[in-house]
Amino acid sequence: MIDLAIRILIYGAVVSGIWALVASGFTLIFGVARILNFAHGTFFVLAAYLGIVMVSSGVNPYLATLLSIVLVGFFAVAIYALLLSRIREHEVMVIIATLALALLVEQVLLLIFGEHGISYPSLITGVLRLGGTPITLKRIAAFVIAIIVIVLLELFINRTRLGKMISAASQNFEGAMLVGLDVEKLFRVTMFISAVLAGIGGILYTQIFAATPIAAVKSLIFAFAIVILGGLGSVRGSIIAAFIVGYILTITINLFGARWSEFVALLFIIGILIVKPTGLFGVEE
Amino acid sequence: MKVSEMREIGLKKLTSILILLLMAVVAPLVLPEAFVYLLGLALLFLILVISWDVIVGYTGQVNLGHTVFVGLGAYTAALLQVPSRFSGTIDFLASLPSPPPVVSILAGGIVAAIFGLIIGVITLRLKGYYFALVTAILPLVFMQTVFVFSSIFGGEEGFSIGLERSLAASTTLRYYYALVILIVSFIIIRFILNSEIGLRFKAVRDDEELAEAIGIDVVRYKVLSFVISSFFAGIGGAAIVHYRITVSPDLYDIPLMLLIILAAVIGGLGTLYGPLFGGLIIYLLKNWWLKGVVMTLPEWLPINDEVILYIILIAIAVLAPEGIWDKVKNILETASLRTSKSS
Repeated sequence: MIDLAIRILIYGAVVSGIWALVASGFTLIFGVARILNFAHGTFFVLAAYLGIVMVSSGVNPYLATLLSIVLVGFFAVAIYALLLSRIREHEVMVIIATLALALLVEQVLLLIFGEHGISYPSLITGVLRLGGTPITLKRIAAFVIAIIVIVLLELFINRTRLGKMISAASQNFEGAMLVGLDVEKLFRVTMFISAVLAGIGGILYTQIFAATPIAAVKSLIFAFAIVILGGLGSVRGSIIAAFIVGYILTITINLFGARWSEFVALLFIIGILIVKPTGLFGVEE
Repeated sequence: MKVSEMREIGLKKLTSILILLLMAVVAPLVLPEAFVYLLGLALLFLILVISWDVIVGYTGQVNLGHTVFVGLGAYTAALLQVPSRFSGTIDFLASLPSPPPVVSILAGGIVAAIFGLIIGVITLRLKGYYFALVTAILPLVFMQTVFVFSSIFGGEEGFSIGLERSLAASTTLRYYYALVILIVSFIIIRFILNSEIGLRFKAVRDDEELAEAIGIDVVRYKVLSFVISSFFAGIGGAAIVHYRITVSPDLYDIPLMLLIILAAVIGGLGTLYGPLFGGLIIYLLKNWWLKGVVMTLPEWLPINDEVILYIILIAIAVLAPEGIWDKVKNILETASLRTSKSS
């Protein structure tokens, strides 16, 4: 019993930390550029697959990890420059194009790698015993890294000039343009950060769990649950919401099995929409 | 425009509709059987496309979960036909007699409409993106039901309802049934969209605040549009099951959703006739031609028919976000203006 409690406590923290990264990236680009990026999960999956390919072809694992995260960031900037910047005003087309992109990448990955789950090579090995419950060090490391990245993100948005500009653009787009901010550049930077967050999430996730190309689309369920609870566009909201959703999912998986997690996420979303549709920190539109 | 000109256009439209109808009726008599079978499936696919156009093109609400209603209709019809699938789980349902196809197709529509009502009431009263977000994840969740309750729904492979419960034994006759179901659905949808209700849908789409200001209950009409759209998606799904005799999770799945979107976007959202043509072209392109093209590609290329369709969809979204139909129409109009000026 205590064993299960400890497991839920630790696993929940790890899962929550990873989802906080993914969801805050999704909500960041929505808040700043009003882009509902259905291809966000693609960055999550792509970073993991890129890293795995590089490591298996002999690149140093740490270098490969760093490279794949940065590459995914540039991939996102390219997607923005080539596709999204042209259709940003057509909200319907943004959704359709990004969803099509997510499925496109998913199909290509399926054709290359097949539908078997793959895991990222372990960057950290070792096991810690917590009152008899063995916990791998990479889980603890994943949690610590996720927290560090979240803190850095908060510092970046609130303390740096660029971060403040991004924050300004998300609060008032026209106002930001009026005072002379280059919003297009801000959007590209935000897209980069958003994808990097998803990419780090993807690599941390595949360190612990196996991932398949299908996660490109499937991960959206949990990301949506988090951003709806946290309030669309609120980074802080989605970080807090990630821990609530993360623990609910961990409890569900440990008590009932992983196959119920999608149902629980949907019921949870519908529950929020009935009770408090603006979420914890959302602003009424 | 003069009355005589309007009459001329009306006459032109009528003749083109009659010619198309004639072609649809004659088709199975001249085409090979395998193609007739595919054409019939394409006709039922068109029901899914025009019903999607009701909520997205005419009412302006981005529904990304249309296939959920297709799948609900499909599984409802299939389970009504094969109630023995419930034995061992919900035993009292297992001994029900199986109804005639008309009843199970209508039941498919009704179940889909009821579910549409529930989801619509919860999500459409909220402004913003909630409707798109929730409908987007519905297919993923419903796919899961098929695997979790695989003793009832048959898991990945689905199950067969048996040839004796199909629309008709012969392919030709089944094709004609499909044609009739499409025409009836089309006429009803067209009637609704041309009525006062349809005008209100369009008012909600074009300017929600203005529609509200002139006294239209915006939420009510959005929900109504969604229920109508879901109903016909359910009818389409159920009809597909009775046509091809099998039900499987592909009817819930996102690739079908993207195919519907592609068809409607190519045809032009909110035009009803456009999606009809777009749907026919895309369905036959995918199932008849594209598979052959992919076969000729070198094997190491990670490209299949779906990849090509997604690339087309992204290209259209970027190059003609206002819809390809509008773009073509604009080009034709400027061209005809130029010729009329020069003449």
